[in-house]
Amino acid sequence: MTNESNFHPSTDMLRKFSAGDLSAGMMVALSAHLELCEVCKRRSEEIELELAGDWRPAQTGADSSELSDLISGIVSQPQVTELREKKPILEQIHMLEHSVSLPKVLAKATSQGLVWKQAGGGINRATVDLDEETQCEFIYMKPGSKTPVHKHQGTEATLVLGGSFSDELGEYRRSDFIFRTSSDMHQPRSEEGCLCFSVLDSPLTFTKGLARLLNPINKLRFQRAVGNRAS
Amino acid sequence: MYPDHRNEKKVIYISQTRVSATMTAILLALDTLQMTSFAADENSSSKASKNPSARSTPRDLDPTSDEALLIQVSNHQSKAAFDQLFNRFASKVFAQGMKIMRNEQLAKDLVQEAMLTVWRKAPLYNLDKGNVQSWIFTITRNRCFDMLRKQKRQPSVLSADDIWPTGFEEAEAVSEAERGTVEVELSRIGKLVDQLPSAQQAVVKQIYILNRTHEEAAEFLEIPLGTLKSRLRLAMGKLRQAIGTDND
Repeated sequence: MTNESNFHPSTDMLRKFSAGDLSAGMMVALSAHLELCEVCKRRSEEIELELAGDWRPAQTGADSSELSDLISGIVSQPQVTELREKKPILEQIHMLEHSVSLPKVLAKATSQGLVWKQAGGGINRATVDLDEETQCEFIYMKPGSKTPVHKHQGTEATLVLGGSFSDELGEYRRSDFIFRTSSDMHQPRSEEGCLCFSVLDSPLTFTKGLARLLNPINKLRFQRAVGNRAS
Repeated sequence: MYPDHRNEKKVIYISQTRVSATMTAILLALDTLQMTSFAADENSSSKASKNPSARSTPRDLDPTSDEALLIQVSNHQSKAAFDQLFNRFASKVFAQGMKIMRNEQLAKDLVQEAMLTVWRKAPLYNLDKGNVQSWIFTITRNRCFDMLRKQKRQPSVLSADDIWPTGFEEAEAVSEAERGTVEVELSRIGKLVDQLPSAQQAVVKQIYILNRTHEEAAEFLEIPLGTLKSRLRLAMGKLRQAIGTDND
C-alpha cells in the first residue's frame, strides 16, 4: 500500500538538506521523510545535481608543496574495490496494540534504545540525542489525547510515523512532514493515537491556562536534552 | 489502521539489487587502453563474453574529461590523473568546507578527507549514476557531515551514510577507512616533525618514537629534565597548531 504524503518540506529546506547545511537533527527528520516520500526523494536528487552543477571554487591559500605532499599521501592508500549491500535494519516501535516500522535513519539513531517519559495529557516523549542545536524526540500521543495550546520560539519539524494527529491547520498521517515557525500557535490532538518524530530548535512556550506553569520546566527539559552530551 | 509498509520495503530491496548489478558492471569495465580497440564492436567483443555484464565507456568520452580521468584513477591507479582531478576539485571542496564549517583549517582537512575518499572509492564510481562533479559533491558533503560531528563530539551512532543512504557499505571493515585517514595523517605529522628546530625534533623523537621516559631522554640528550620538558611542550604546541587539534 503506497502512502502519499500531503505535507512536504519546502524546496528551500530540501536544498539545505542536499547541501548538508542543516542541524543533524533536522537532517535526520528530512532523511526519514525522504525514505517515506518518493516525490521528495526525487526532488532532492534533482536539487543535488543542480547544486553540484553550480559548485564554485574558492582560493585555498595552500602552497603547492603542501598540496603535493597531500596528494602523494593519498595515492599511497589502497583503493576500495567491493561494496556489499547494507543489511536492512528492521526496527519497530510498539504503541499499545500497534507497531510502527521506523525509517532506517531513525532506527539507526535509536539503536541505543529509547527511554519513554510521561509528559501529561496522554503524551509520552523519548528524547534522542543527536546534536547540540536541536531537541529531537519521539512523541507518542495516546488515542484521545491533546497537547496544551502552544507556540514555538524557534522552529519545529514533525514527521508522522504512525496513526494520525490534527491541529487547526490540518490532519496529518504517516510520512507527512510538518514545519512550524515561531509565529504559529497550535494545539495538536489525536483521536486514534499517533507516533511522531519531532525536531525542535528551541523550547515550546505554552500560552494558555495552567499549562503556562510548565514553561520554566519545559525550558529545563530542553536544556537537559541539549546538555546531555557534555557529560 | 496503519499503512502496511512491507510491500514498500520489498520494492526498495529489488531496486538495490539492480543497482548492485550496475556496480558490478562498472567494476568489470574494460580498461580504457583496451577500449579503443574494442570500440568498434562493443557488444560482441571477447572481453564482453568473458564478463557478460561488462560495459565499455562511451567511445566519445573526452580523455581530458573528469569521467575519463576518474576511470584512469580507477583502472590504473593513475597518479597523474588523480593529480589533475585534485587540481580541479580541491578548491571546490575547500569552498564547500568554508561554507558549512566557516573555518579554514577544517576546510583544508575536508579537502584531504574528501579527496582521499575520491581516490579510495574511484573503482566504485558508477558512470550511469551521474557525472563526476556531482559524485565528488556528495562525497564532500558526506565527509563534511562526519567531520563536523567528530569535531563537535556529537554522538557517533549516526553517519552521513545514514542521512543520505546508498544502500551499500564497504565490504571491508569500516575501520579500514579510518586507517587510511590515520596513515595520511601520520605521514603529514612526520613531515611536520622534520620541520621543527633540531633541538625540539630530538626531544620528540626520544619520547614519541623511541618511547623513552622523560628522565631517560634527558640523560641521553645530556640536558636538564626541565629543559627537556619545556622543549617537548613547545614542540607539541607547534605540532598541535599545525594539525589543528589544539584542544586535545
